[in-house]
Amino acid sequence: MNWSFVLSNAITLACIYGTLAIGISLTWSSLGLVNMAFGFIFAFSGYGAWLASVNIAPQPAVVMAAGVLTGALGGLIVCLLAFIPIHDKPNFPLRALIATLAISLIGNQALLWYFGPRAKSLPRLFGSWNADIFGVVVTSDKLGASLSAVVLLTLILLWMRSSRRGLEIRAMMMNPHAASIVGIGVRRTGFYVMALTGSLAGLASVLLAQTYYVAPFSGITPMVKGLSIALVGGLGSVPGAVIGAVIIGLNEALTSTLLGGQYVLMTQFLLIILVLLVRPRGIAGLLDKAREA
Amino acid sequence: MSDAVEQVWIDPTDCHYPEYRAREAPTNPYLSHQVTWNETRAFKPRMHLVGRLRYYYKWPGHGGRLWWRKRYWPTRRRLLQIRGEYNPKTMRREKTIVDKRPIWWTLAFIALVLAPAVVPAAGWNTVMSAAAVFGIYSAINLCWMLIIGTAGIFSLASYAVVGAAAYGTTYLAIQFGLPFWLLPLLGALIGFAFGLIIGLPAMRLDGFYYALLTLGVVELCRVYVVQSREFGSATGGLYGAPSYLPASLGQMPRLLFSYYAALALMVFALFVYRFIDGKRLGRVLRMAPEKREAFAQACGVDFIRARIMVFLISSTALGFIGGFYATHFGGASPNLFSFDTVLLSLAMLVIGGIGRSEGAVAGTVIVVFIDRVLIDLGPLRYMLIGAIMLGVVLFLREGLFGIKRQFRTWRDKKKSERRATRAEKGGEMLPEEATETEDKDQIFFRRFDKMQRDFLKRLVTDTVIEEHRTRPLGQHSEALERLLIYFRRQGQIDKYAIMVLEEFRAYRIVALSGHRGTAPRVVEDRNYATPDEAYHALFLRRVQDLLES
Repeated sequence: MNWSFVLSNAITLACIYGTLAIGISLTWSSLGLVNMAFGFIFAFSGYGAWLASVNIAPQPAVVMAAGVLTGALGGLIVCLLAFIPIHDKPNFPLRALIATLAISLIGNQALLWYFGPRAKSLPRLFGSWNADIFGVVVTSDKLGASLSAVVLLTLILLWMRSSRRGLEIRAMMMNPHAASIVGIGVRRTGFYVMALTGSLAGLASVLLAQTYYVAPFSGITPMVKGLSIALVGGLGSVPGAVIGAVIIGLNEALTSTLLGGQYVLMTQFLLIILVLLVRPRGIAGLLDKAREA
Repeated sequence: MSDAVEQVWIDPTDCHYPEYRAREAPTNPYLSHQVTWNETRAFKPRMHLVGRLRYYYKWPGHGGRLWWRKRYWPTRRRLLQIRGEYNPKTMRREKTIVDKRPIWWTLAFIALVLAPAVVPAAGWNTVMSAAAVFGIYSAINLCWMLIIGTAGIFSLASYAVVGAAAYGTTYLAIQFGLPFWLLPLLGALIGFAFGLIIGLPAMRLDGFYYALLTLGVVELCRVYVVQSREFGSATGGLYGAPSYLPASLGQMPRLLFSYYAALALMVFALFVYRFIDGKRLGRVLRMAPEKREAFAQACGVDFIRARIMVFLISSTALGFIGGFYATHFGGASPNLFSFDTVLLSLAMLVIGGIGRSEGAVAGTVIVVFIDRVLIDLGPLRYMLIGAIMLGVVLFLREGLFGIKRQFRTWRDKKKSERRATRAEKGGEMLPEEATETEDKDQIFFRRFDKMQRDFLKRLVTDTVIEEHRTRPLGQHSEALERLLIYFRRQGQIDKYAIMVLEEFRAYRIVALSGHRGTAPRVVEDRNYATPDEAYHALFLRRVQDLLES
């Protein structure tokens, strides 16, 4: 059993799933919306990137930009359908959850209907070479995926910390009602947040398509993983999502080496249930200050 | 100035000399005060020819009390809730059916039992197998509705319980060669155990955390079943469970038999629903809705225990249904754990309306019909289901069966909005002022005063002003006289007066303070040479104040 191989694999997956988890977490904490259409946005942006690679150019920059942009577009569609019409109506969180599930149903079937069930593969974005880091051989796609995920996430977090829009989003996360009182447009911020998280999903999709393929239903497993990481980390907390991603990644690596690949999900959910039984709002979730559902 | 009826002025002082005929003189045209009065007091709301519809059909005759006597075992419910009352207008007895749902349920049952007779022969196989699926799915959805609606636990793992029971019973049946009737009972045991495992976190987690967790559990089951060799990873499902159908039956009677068996299963689920939701547990949980748990707890309601109880009972029932599923389909497939199944059945619940048994059944009818009967549509049928689900969520609060209540709420809102626009508040007291004032006469005085000012405003014309300019004192036309009487009758506070600076030389307009010892205040920095000029200037000021009020 090659420990370093498993570890590097887990870290790569943790980076990608962590990106998704941060997107889910941000959406929930700022808009109060559990975005179940994340899997659809994921697959949608994968197809966007594939179309760009076929029709425009199979350049890494073009493909990645196309994936991120279609992801943002998907986020905007979800926002228009599931957030704008009902965000001030009674029973919003439940209705929004069901609306995003419906969007995911329609969208996935539309992808299946239009593109057919055959999986598409994206061109290799990071070439095919191997790097030797402290004696550990890492393939280019893993290194590139981890690095680009970390770089883009850092950029987004810096943007959230320093810009006016990021300030608005953070205000919405603290207290949406008070934010709307001081003049922060709830709908406008909804558009920013959904475009941002959609582009995160698009990024994750392009990066994950290096190892897997683009298929109509390829988004569901990553969404479930992202959700579980967000749950362990505590919905609404970015550092929590990072810690959760590391924990889940480590668990995945350890289980698949010690027990075997088919036990990964089992140990993962036992771990999640244990964490949630001890801390119902996740590792870093604020128990009292969290958003009222 | 449309109503210029009286163009002639009769000198009122002539009544002192009745022996002479009264002097008459032409006068300015003016508006009758009756016009404003009529306009103000008129009934303005737009009325329609059709009146309000009756909500309830009134049956003739006595007999309300007779209906009260009939109860059905084992509950103490009446067959129909019928209210007998006396109509004072027609002077007759009449009966009202207060709750018509039992009638609709009975009609629906009769329709379901007779349905196979009217299914066209061309699509008989498709429709009948779809109908059997409808029976099983509606049973599952009813138990799930108990968890989501009654217990308020947003669990997405109901199909996981069914699937676990189906897989477990099939596995045991293959291993030990069990008879078919043992499978549902074993399934109930498995369901109870599974419910215990996934129900424990529900005590600590709220709403969405639990929903996401259960979604993960479903995915876990799917991946496990797909990968595990003993659960048929190679064959795409585990098959070989004994069937409840007698082996001697032909194709058509088999379908018919399985349809009625599935229908019986649905009736069983309806009884479970009714005995949990309509009895003590349901009552307790209705006391503790979301966000009001603390209040319920303070009242001594142990809602967590009630929730877990409902969850466990429903999980047991779901396990029973899972065992039936195994005997019905002869096994279990990983399709039970797929995300699409969860989505479709959530669509069934949402379309009908969460928290109602009729919603679960009707939603299942709609979705199963689109999914299983309109197969020719291909992936389009899922998009159709998704579109219906999205439409229902975006526009309806409580699904199809909540339309009535939502429509009534909307209509009442519109009504009260219209009523609010009809109220005339200007010049009268504000509502809170009116309740707080001691002297209630003030309210009516202000109402009258507003009406009078509205009328007087319409009397002010150039001819009236010209008449006052030429002759400020003495006899006036009716319009001017009414204006002047109103002005003179005002209170002393801030009433305009004329101060004589120097007789026949200089006059000035002042406003009285209305309080003894406080000097009048000067209004304008202008002297008038004659009293008439001063009178007229004062009149103009008052007219302006009137028009501005």
